[in-house]
Amino acid sequence: MDLEFTEDERQFRSEVRAYLLENVPERIRQAVYEERPIPRGWMVEAQQILNRAGYAVPHWPLEWGGRNWSPLKRAILAQEIDRNSVPKPLPFNVALIGPIIAAFGSEEQKRRFLPAIANLDLWFCQGFSEPNAGSDLASLKTTAVREGGHYRVNGRKIWTTYAHDADWIFCLVRTSKEERKQQGISFLLIDLASAGVEVRPIESIDGFHHLNEVLFEDVIVPAENLVGEEGEGWNYAKYLLGQERTSMGNVGFSRRRLDRARALAEKPRSGASGSLIDDPAFRRRLTWAELRLKALEITQMRVVASTPLQGVDPKTSILKTEGGEMLQEAAELLLATLGPEALTAGFPEEAGPEDSYGLDERSGILSAYFSSRKYSIFGGSNEIQRNILASAVLKLGRKR
Amino acid sequence: MNFDPSEEQTMLADMADKLFGGHAAREMRDPEAEWRDSLSYGLTGLPFPERLGGLGGGHEEIMLIMEAMGRHLSHTPYLQAVLMAGRVLALADRAELSGLLEGGFRSALCLFEPGQRYCWDKPVTRAERSGEGWILDGAKLAVLDLDRRCALIVPASVPEGVGLFLVPPGSAGVALDIRPTPDGRTAANVALDRVRVPPGASIGDPAGNAALLSEVLDGAILASCAESIGAMERLLSLTVDYLNVREQFGVVIGTFQALQHRAADMLVAIERARSMTIYAASMMEAAAPHRTIAVAAARALVNQSSRFVGQQAIQLHGGIGLASECAAGAYFQRLTVLETLFGDTDHFLSIVEQGGGLPAD
Repeated sequence: MDLEFTEDERQFRSEVRAYLLENVPERIRQAVYEERPIPRGWMVEAQQILNRAGYAVPHWPLEWGGRNWSPLKRAILAQEIDRNSVPKPLPFNVALIGPIIAAFGSEEQKRRFLPAIANLDLWFCQGFSEPNAGSDLASLKTTAVREGGHYRVNGRKIWTTYAHDADWIFCLVRTSKEERKQQGISFLLIDLASAGVEVRPIESIDGFHHLNEVLFEDVIVPAENLVGEEGEGWNYAKYLLGQERTSMGNVGFSRRRLDRARALAEKPRSGASGSLIDDPAFRRRLTWAELRLKALEITQMRVVASTPLQGVDPKTSILKTEGGEMLQEAAELLLATLGPEALTAGFPEEAGPEDSYGLDERSGILSAYFSSRKYSIFGGSNEIQRNILASAVLKLGRKR
Repeated sequence: MNFDPSEEQTMLADMADKLFGGHAAREMRDPEAEWRDSLSYGLTGLPFPERLGGLGGGHEEIMLIMEAMGRHLSHTPYLQAVLMAGRVLALADRAELSGLLEGGFRSALCLFEPGQRYCWDKPVTRAERSGEGWILDGAKLAVLDLDRRCALIVPASVPEGVGLFLVPPGSAGVALDIRPTPDGRTAANVALDRVRVPPGASIGDPAGNAALLSEVLDGAILASCAESIGAMERLLSLTVDYLNVREQFGVVIGTFQALQHRAADMLVAIERARSMTIYAASMMEAAAPHRTIAVAAARALVNQSSRFVGQQAIQLHGGIGLASECAAGAYFQRLTVLETLFGDTDHFLSIVEQGGGLPAD
């Protein structure tokens, strides 16, 4: 056992921090700190700065830009990116489709897509959920029918984050009807510029437009865009679950929110009422949150430092639920700093040219509060995670 | 960072598991036999430096054996006699430590006082000079595992700070009121009525004794966190076993999602407690105020988890959970004792807040 960071790990942390602060423009970091919508161009700019240093896809295979860094170092990197208000590398690119293509794609697909995905020259969004396939994802109905050298795709995907900013979408589609609904699903890459694709915006309760519905009507997709083998899509999607776990807990992000809540609460208020931090009830709640976050940070390190299990490590379910609840609690504490101004804060405008950010820091807080409800819903709701913990870890409901 | 136990640590944990597991399997608990075995298996000497005749074990090793004690609800007075009183003797370089390491000498640290809750650094108990020696007057409260054969280590106010006095067993003026704790051990209230002690009874230096006690206490609290984790893990596993055999409505109740999710929440609470305890362990060599804050933070979270896991274990057992014959209750009782032993949750949160929150990293 060695419960402290090694010298090497500490040094890595300061190197990363120094690089981020020196290279990522302050306008971008300020907008992220204030939780304003980030323009597409700024996201691309930030990811390319990260990619130059090897920070965008360190977990990928070496030949495609990965680094030989320990999972612990990668967790440190992820924390520093979040904590220093740098936009995360686009998860759909670096954590989802990249690893899938690297593991199951053809050589041609790897050459064509992986460098562009790492550098965000190509923006992917994720087409998994459907109106009637949420937690029960395997009941998805979007079909892809093979017609000679192409597939004909029909159906609807929903809750597609950034589809309006994306160039491509990776989809789970049904290529055949089998006895088990998990069979007959394939993994398809679709150019959003194809004829018959329609992206419809879904406005959300946080005032943003980041969610979309994506409709496919007789969309022709070249057969070479199939990833791996037909009918194996479900297994590829499952493969993702056990992948990059180093940023699962969102530790750096929660830390940034809690630090911000503390800083706002420590500001003197006008009048004689002192600072919010002097309110014992608020302070205790903040203390609890800080304690829980420290525990989560260690849990995150314990998960990444342990030898990966074959298949899915159920401990990631703990990271997922705890990480999501932590972000929600941090958002609630930020909301508490607003007081009655929550009514007038409004929702934020997209960050603009350099002179327009930082004008009203309250709007992002309100928006973040509403937006944070998503953390216990997407990627397997917290109820699904508890099902996994109960069955895979505790072995409940079956004879032992 | 590396969280895996070394080969030696694994062997130590296995040994402790066998030892305390064996005692737990007996029909009647025998704390004295457990205590003798702790000595002969080398556990008594574990936390002390080799130059003092100990084995030079660190906090990680202590945590491993405390977890085993928690798993098996050990009744050995290890926490008190070794990790509290014993460490006071070691840090103050007292010769009595060799008596502890050889067997035959045991002492108990009398920390708390009536009406003072968890405050220990400003004792109302006073020591006055009397010739070459001292006279002690006051009272102490809830001293865990204080046996009539134990010497007392008594903090008492002196003009220079906190005096620490070693009071031999059976000293005139000492009255012990020994009572059973909810988890089957004992705790004593101590009255000190003009107790005369010789000059050599004064331990350490009154100006530095508060710091010495704080170091001892932080180590003991960390150890108690590990004990709670061992107890919680076993309690969850007993509960899961029960959910998988108990049938109602024609099925095992472990198939009900409401109960599954409760059990999953217990698991999450335990992992949270374990992570925070690991954090505190990593801070044991930090500057004293940071160490104390980290330990207080850990105990606060462990307390919260203990209460949740303990209460839900009883709930999930249903009626049988209320019966003494059911093992779950004994774990709940042990967890509750550990929850109040050094401070309750609010007390530890206040320490964290008064110290300005967790130290920045």
